[in-house]
Amino acid sequence: MIENSFNRRNFLKVLGWGGATAALSGCGNTSVEDGKEFVTSYVETADYIIPSIGTYFNSTCAQCDAGCGIMGRVREGRVLKLEGNPKASINNGKMCGLGQAGVQAHYNPDRIREPLLRNGDRGEAITWEKALGLINEKVGGVNAENIAFLTGVVSGHDKALLKNYLDALGSGHHYVYEAVAPSVIRAANKKAYGVEMPRLRLDKAKVIVSFGADFLGAWVSPVHFSQQYARFRKPDSGERGVLVQVESKMTLTGANADRWLAIRPGTEGILALGLINALAAAGLSVPGDVAAAVGGYTSERVSKDTGVSAEHIGKLAALLKERSPSLIIAGSAAEGYAHGSQNAAAIALLNQILGNVGQTVEAPSSTPFPQMAPTTGNRLALQSLNDNMAQDKVKVLFSYGTNPVFTAPATMKLKENLKKVPFKVVFAHYMDETAVEADLVLPLNSAMEDWATVIPEYVAEGAQLNIRQPLMEKLYPGTLGLGDILLGLLKYRRPDEYNGFEDFYSYLRNAMVTNKDALGGASKDGDTFWEAALSHGGVKMVGEPVNLSGNVSATTLVVPAPFVEDATYPLHLIPAVSASMRDGRNANEPWLQESPDPLTTIVWDSWVEMHPKTAAKLGIVEGDIVEVASKSGAMKAQAYVFTGIHPDVISVPLGYGHDAMGRYAKGVGANAFKILDPVFDKETGELAMHETRVKVTKAGKRVIIVKDEGPAGGNQMGRKIAVRLTSNKVNLSEEV
Amino acid sequence: MNYFLRLSVLLVGLVVSAGSYAANTVQPLTTADDLGPKVEQPFEFPHNRHAGNADKGGMEINCMYCHTYARRSMVAGIPPVQKCIGCHQSIESVRETPRIKKLFEYWEAKKAIPWKKVHDLPEFVRFNHERHIQRFVFAQNKPVQEACGYCHGDVKTMTVARRQKPLSMGWCVSCHQKDHPVDATSTKTTHGPNDCWQCHK
Repeated sequence: MIENSFNRRNFLKVLGWGGATAALSGCGNTSVEDGKEFVTSYVETADYIIPSIGTYFNSTCAQCDAGCGIMGRVREGRVLKLEGNPKASINNGKMCGLGQAGVQAHYNPDRIREPLLRNGDRGEAITWEKALGLINEKVGGVNAENIAFLTGVVSGHDKALLKNYLDALGSGHHYVYEAVAPSVIRAANKKAYGVEMPRLRLDKAKVIVSFGADFLGAWVSPVHFSQQYARFRKPDSGERGVLVQVESKMTLTGANADRWLAIRPGTEGILALGLINALAAAGLSVPGDVAAAVGGYTSERVSKDTGVSAEHIGKLAALLKERSPSLIIAGSAAEGYAHGSQNAAAIALLNQILGNVGQTVEAPSSTPFPQMAPTTGNRLALQSLNDNMAQDKVKVLFSYGTNPVFTAPATMKLKENLKKVPFKVVFAHYMDETAVEADLVLPLNSAMEDWATVIPEYVAEGAQLNIRQPLMEKLYPGTLGLGDILLGLLKYRRPDEYNGFEDFYSYLRNAMVTNKDALGGASKDGDTFWEAALSHGGVKMVGEPVNLSGNVSATTLVVPAPFVEDATYPLHLIPAVSASMRDGRNANEPWLQESPDPLTTIVWDSWVEMHPKTAAKLGIVEGDIVEVASKSGAMKAQAYVFTGIHPDVISVPLGYGHDAMGRYAKGVGANAFKILDPVFDKETGELAMHETRVKVTKAGKRVIIVKDEGPAGGNQMGRKIAVRLTSNKVNLSEEV
Repeated sequence: MNYFLRLSVLLVGLVVSAGSYAANTVQPLTTADDLGPKVEQPFEFPHNRHAGNADKGGMEINCMYCHTYARRSMVAGIPPVQKCIGCHQSIESVRETPRIKKLFEYWEAKKAIPWKKVHDLPEFVRFNHERHIQRFVFAQNKPVQEACGYCHGDVKTMTVARRQKPLSMGWCVSCHQKDHPVDATSTKTTHGPNDCWQCHK
């Protein structure tokens, strides 16, 4: 943020001097380095390697868990730019900004370069031999019951090796944790459809009603959904699909919707039931028990509870009845409450009543190798690990692919509990908040240096196994991949089985070639199969379609009445998941800090989004530093006044506010995870992310918000550059 | 009226000068030398032995046999060690000389030879070898050594290469302003582009 004291004039002065200095140093001092710089020189090279001309290699993106296929442009042995792999069925050659920043994860100056062992406050560099030996000694010295492995989503051969290692230790304690994941929806889907994540066919739907699922921004597999969305908007049939987004805080998807309905937080289930009632009244056939259960949800009552006008409920019901198939999606805004499961169940029920199951909600394929299928995570896993740590039940803890010290709410006291664990091993790219607490830090290869196989949770068609291959030599000889580390550890435990493999590459290649028949390579010899798999970036597998099951019933459905007002904490906090920052794991990539948030255009900082009415009531204007206090903590950030939010709600983006990790992440913004209240979904036990109530007070200071939009915001300074139509003049509003 | 008169005079003048320009004879593309610094290399590569004339004990090897990328890439490139060994493994006569021993040391250790750059341009200049080689060697049928020599000097007489020309912008432009035939058979002439962005992208 630019403080008021540093005004535009000073800024220009500095810029002027900076420019002059640059010009002076430019005189007679060019970058010519005859006899100093080295020429790119090879020992042996392939015919297709020509200096200055890029070669493309396929791999799999590691920036989020969607598992898009990527293609890295490599020149003179260095990866320069990433593109989408056109052969990948998830992203079909497309890529998002988060993925593009993958090169910054690779070339990041803050990467850890060698294993570090704690010595007081400092980390002392040690060799890998010593590090792995030490781990083996430590796990050998404790009861296997007291060893815990905390990871993010794992799949493929990494997961298989991890399971073998845990088996070799005799411990089953594998906690899979995702700070931001649709875990309540997975459970509700499992009940309603028989699968955790069915395939959503946006392209087949004629109407989509999304309850806060930001499928164009940050939800599940946004690049895939964006392409389906394009076909939904312009289908072969010519009839443009209509998108209605119901949520309390506008997301990127909400901004693209034909109708954005600001709903009172937590009442999504009520609206879904109200729609079923309205549809039944309009003549849609609804099973008797469901009709009876929703009978009380009259349009007046629903309108009063949700804040959505009866007129819109009527229009929406008429639209859903008229256009079939439709698709109803439950997103993070619906699941983030103590009754999140009920909300999600009500929304699934709406899908079932509309006959969308089997039409736009399709069965995914199972993978022929269940031991490699992705293990998705949830927040409950961290909760149980935390409980075990508090009771001194964990003696050796491994942490991979998560940063729980950053993402756990302060009320969990995770950092304090972590101190009770005598030996903590953290696999890390950066010295993040969790790595700082570790006794042993193991530096990981970047995704551009690593071997792995990945099975994404959401696969677009059939079953597939993506391959992640190195796009270039390792930047630092002291880093290793997860596969290599696990293999090294397994060699201590099961030498007969694993000593034959020199490294993870030889293990992986052997495992793939041995099973090539099941991996679609039955007709090829081993080498050809392997080369083809690498060149395509993955293999297609023969998967069995899973049958969608689940009964249509409303018997267990109890959607509670809307919240009662809280006088002390009058506002609801929505922790927003932004397309760039997500849960904050990529915060040290400056491109992501620099790319403006799509709705507010703010860069390099957190902000508190609030409705103009709320702001007026509190006497707040844009740029005021405000304190957001919940029962569990408080944070400060700049206020941003925005109409795309319900007046009862304020929103703060997640992922900012690191106090470690690296030069681009540290000290930028404030961490909204910390102030979340410990409220849990009643059925799944998941932390209810949207349940926190807050009060907002001015903290006194005012700043100029650094953002891309002009000083008059969306008003275009009255110049009418892009003519805006009020929503009641858009033709589509007649339908929605 | 006066205005149009002046304009027409100007136009006629322009046409005449352009015509006389085109009628100029083709100018030689060679320029004076301006030696660069001596560059210390891992070991002395004798360009004269490889590319020199046969009567002076040279092999007359085409520049592009080793600098194979020059005709298809922006950079000429250094041959991979593999290429040196390709010939030298069957040249027993020099196998035990100090330089060849060193070459084989690199090969056996599988280490690339850390050659230093002799011709470097500032980062904001983009020079494309491919365009020049395609124009002079392939379109105009100029001898390879002559074409390379416009910028690199008479490499066949050197041991370790040394910069021979200033490689400054004025020097580049001095050549780009000269006329040369479009191709080997044509009587039409042209000259190199003089747009800023051709080199400063």
